[in-house]
This record gives sequence, C-alpha cells and structure tokens, in this order.
Amino acid sequence: MSNILEARDIRKVFRRGSEDIAALDGVSLDIEKGEFVSFVGPSGSGKTTLVNILGCLDNPTSGTLKLSGTSIFAPGKALSEAELTRIRRRTFGYVFQNFHLIPTLTVYENVILPFAFFRKEGSLGDVDALLGDLGLDKRRDHLPGQLSGGEMQRVAVARALVNVPEILLADEPTGNLDSKRADEIRDALKKMNRGKGVTIILVTHNPELARAGHRVVELRDGAIRPA
Amino acid sequence: MTIYRIAYKNLLRKKTRSLLTVLGIALSAWVLASLLGFNRGYEWALNRDIDNMGFQVLLTAKGCPYEAATLMLKGGTGLRYLKEDMVRGVAKNPEVTSVTAMLMQAVFDPDKGESGGMSAYLGVDPATFPQAKGFLEFKKGGWFKAPEAYEAVMGYEAAELEQREVGDPLLIAGKNAEAKVVGILKRTGTQDDGTIFLPLRTVQKVFERKGQITGLGIKVSKDANIDKFTERLYDLPDVQVVSMAQVKNTIMSLLSSAKVMVFSIAIIAILIAMVGVVNTILMSVFERFQELGILKSMGAMPKDVFMLVWTETLILCLSGSALGVCLALGLARVTELLVRRLLPYAPNGSLVQVDWALAASTVAAVTAAGLLSGLYPAWRAARVRPLDAIRSEAQ
Repeated sequence: MSNILEARDIRKVFRRGSEDIAALDGVSLDIEKGEFVSFVGPSGSGKTTLVNILGCLDNPTSGTLKLSGTSIFAPGKALSEAELTRIRRRTFGYVFQNFHLIPTLTVYENVILPFAFFRKEGSLGDVDALLGDLGLDKRRDHLPGQLSGGEMQRVAVARALVNVPEILLADEPTGNLDSKRADEIRDALKKMNRGKGVTIILVTHNPELARAGHRVVELRDGAIRPA
Repeated sequence: MTIYRIAYKNLLRKKTRSLLTVLGIALSAWVLASLLGFNRGYEWALNRDIDNMGFQVLLTAKGCPYEAATLMLKGGTGLRYLKEDMVRGVAKNPEVTSVTAMLMQAVFDPDKGESGGMSAYLGVDPATFPQAKGFLEFKKGGWFKAPEAYEAVMGYEAAELEQREVGDPLLIAGKNAEAKVVGILKRTGTQDDGTIFLPLRTVQKVFERKGQITGLGIKVSKDANIDKFTERLYDLPDVQVVSMAQVKNTIMSLLSSAKVMVFSIAIIAILIAMVGVVNTILMSVFERFQELGILKSMGAMPKDVFMLVWTETLILCLSGSALGVCLALGLARVTELLVRRLLPYAPNGSLVQVDWALAASTVAAVTAAGLLSGLYPAWRAARVRPLDAIRSEAQ
C-alpha cells in the first residue's frame, strides 16, 4: 500500500522566554493510505504537536512532509494560513476533544456545515446514509442539547467526514466521554476506517481506544519510542 | 446550508443580547428617521402656512418683528393701527398686483367654552380678500358681498366651537351686535380654521376703529424684486414690513439651535448603537474563538469567517433599523405632539413627515454605520487560526 504521509526529521521548537524548547526532535514516520494509527504518550510528549504538523495545522521548524507524494513542508518553505487551509479542506477531516457543534443548528445542519464554506467534488450526496452509518439517523432533526456526549462526538465525526477526507485526524476524541460513550466513538472510527477506507490518525490517552488501530506509535520527549 | 442561515442561527444563541442590540439600533433609527422627518415636515408646513397667507408681504404698524410674524401666522390684534388710506399709496407701486386691508380684533368671550375664551374677528375687504385667498373652499355658503353687511364667514373650527350653521345668527362678544353666518369654510389646517371673518367696514364700525387697520396684505408680481420693494415700503412712516422670506428665516433661525441639539442627540444615539453592535459581535467572537478555529479547520477561508461575522452584524442592523423606522412611521403623530410641546412656534399641518423613501434612507444609513462598526469584530474573527483554537482547547 502507498504512503499517504511521509514525515522526515520533523523538528518543532517553541520559544519560551529566552529558552528554546524542542517539542519534536527529529521525528520520521510513514503512514499508509487506509491505515489507522494511534499516537500515545504522556502529556508533553509531543504527540499533539506531531499530529498538528501531520494534519497541516502547523508548520514544523525543520524537516519535510509529503502528502501523497507531494511536498508540503520543506526547508525554507513555510506555508501561509490560506495555503494550509486549501490543503486541509481537500484532504483532512478533524475531530477534537470538544465537539464544537452549533447549538442552534440541528444534527443534520451541523453535519453539512462545512458545505457552507467548501464542497469538494465527490463529497457526500447522501448525508442521511452517513448519519445512519454513525447511528444518528433517528437524531437527524434534534438539536445538540438533546444529545448525549457520545452522540455529539459522533455528529462531530460525521461533520469531519462529510467532505470525504482522505485522512481523519482525531485528537483525544473520547477525552470528554465516559467509557461507554468512548466505545461508541471507537466503533464509529473503526467502521469509517474499515468500511470507507479513511486513513485515521488518532491521539489518545485511552489504551483501549489506541489498540483499535492497526498500529500504535508511542512518543516520549518529542521522539518516537522504538516498539 | 448558507452563511446567512448560520449567521441567523448564531444570533439566536444569545437571544436576549441580540434583542437588546436590535432595540438599541431601533432606537437610534427611530430618532434619526423622526428627526429627518421633522426637518422635512417643519419646513414644508411652514412654507404651506406662508403660502396659505395669500400674500407675500405684510405691512403692519411698527413694532416687534416677532409679534408681526405671530400676527401673520397665528392671528392677533397687533400693537398699533395703520391708516386705511395707506392702501392707495401702496397699490401704486408697480410690483403690486393686489392689496387687501385687514383689521384684527380679539375680545374675551365669557360664554365661550367652560370658562370663557378669546374670539378673533378679522375684518377683511370683500372686494380683495377672497381673491387673495382664492384657495379657500367653503363647506357651505360663500363670502359676504356687501362691504358693510352684518354677515360672517366662519372658519371650520370656529363654526364647530360655536355650533353655528349657515343662516344662524352670531353674537359679536361684548359689542351687542349680531351678524348672520353666510358661509362656513372647509378645514384648512391653518389659523383660518379658528377665525371669524367679517366685512372690514363692519368690524371698524362695531369696534369703533373707523379708518384704521392692523395690517395690509400685499401680493406682488412673480418677477418682482421683493427685497427692493420692501426697502421702498420702509419709506412709509412708522410701518413694519414683513416679507414671507423674512418670516421663514426668523422662524428657521429660532429653530436652528433646537435642530442642532436634536441632531446631536441623534448622532449620540447612533454612536451608542454602534458601540452596542461592536460589543455584541466582539463578545460573540471571543466566546466562539475555538468554534471559529474549528470552522477554519473545516475549510472556511478567512474571508468566509469575515463574511459570517459581518452577516451577523448585517442581520442585527437591518432588523434594528427596520423596527426603528416602523416605530417612526407608526408613532409619527406621537412624536409630533411631543415636538409641538417643545417648540417656540410650530406651523399647522403635519410636522413629522416620515415616508417610505425616508425610511429606506434611514435603514441604509443605520445599516451602513452598523456594518462599519462590525468591521473590527469580523476582522478579529477572520484572523483566528485553527491551531490557536486547538491550543486554547488544550489549555
């Protein structure tokens, strides 16, 4: 299977006062198309920083990143916010710890919200089918306030998938959920990965959720810990 | 799903805050529309009052010009009397097309109303006055013809008040004289409505003012130089010449300071509304900081976020200004009552004229001001980066 992401010697240095802090210290990694990769590690290990760079939300300080063979980040080539947005909206879907649903829009309206800004060719024509896949078909016309935490996060997953991204990036998607609701999200992600072939990059502290993927990558002190 | 629908739904999240902002904008739009309506209506009503005088120049005995203006517009006894033979001298001027002599007398009538009141009798020349006031229409009857007849024409309100019909006798208060009502005028919306017209000679005789008048109404030809003519009239001894332009200027200058104050209030109201808009939208942007970042991660470009927030401003401003002009249109009469209480002189007729064109202009002006104040919050929102939103979430 071909690599959808190729990261080489990624470094990210933050400046705090007069001190430079290396959040990532030379990370190299390949992710295959259709792969489900879980990133784990203690707080401050650099996993969110890495995933933000892999998800084109942030520029690395140095290193290279290729997306489906096309160079995105290279030395001396920092992308503007608008350029990053153009890449992001064609390739990525994002799910975060907080759901950020618009409380006055129904489930269906929240899911199709991205269409107000961008509709990719080949985006989902049948949003109801996606809602059905995620077990939200009966909640279609409900407002977020009428949903459980698990249902709200599944709406966020549906919203991230409506433009049919190649990669779904989920950063602590179960962080605000109890174990039962976390299982719902795990099942939904597995279904999207196996059923639709969506590449999934997951950041989690939850070991059970991490094991749902094909591969677990552990980070410690800004570097990948050998398996 | 459109940006307009998202913006509308966003505003529904904090209904009370949005409603208060809309009310603030409505208030400023109401003040602005009413003020502009007043500005237009007052001048229109004043011009109408002056046009309805039937002559362009009034000659009275020398005295205070403001009293002369009051005499012209509201009626009154005047301070002094002129000699009636002055009519012939004035009529010789080439600019003059007609001259009509008037004698105003006002007396206290103890039988008027519950506790008595003033009755105004205007002696007019039956040969010239009806021509000068050719626009007056009769509800019933017509003008008296004979110069010394004991006949009266009553203004609409005077007839209503005295409960007189054509053919009824009319007692001239305190003078033991009686006139027959021969005509009742239709409502004019001017001081004529409250006036009782009698032949000049009759008033002179009843009030013992033979050969005396209180004013001369002069009509001049259209191409006449009124300024030069009035200058020449000042050569006459002890006269006060008041042209309509002077009256208008005097009243408008009296009004100008009030206008400045009201304009200042309107500007302050708009500024307060603008601050309200900035406050509401900026608070909403800060509250949705993470959410705006998420919108960007979904593919919203900075211009999309800018337009979203600006559209929210647009909805607030359009709703507020539409409500404000509806209030101005619906409550124009109430505003007018209020304005009439505050003004030193208010002409007859509608003082606050708010029409649809003015309403549309007000909506446009208030919305433009609102959109201007929405620029900064929209710019702030457009600058939010998804990464900043995620970091703040992590914190």
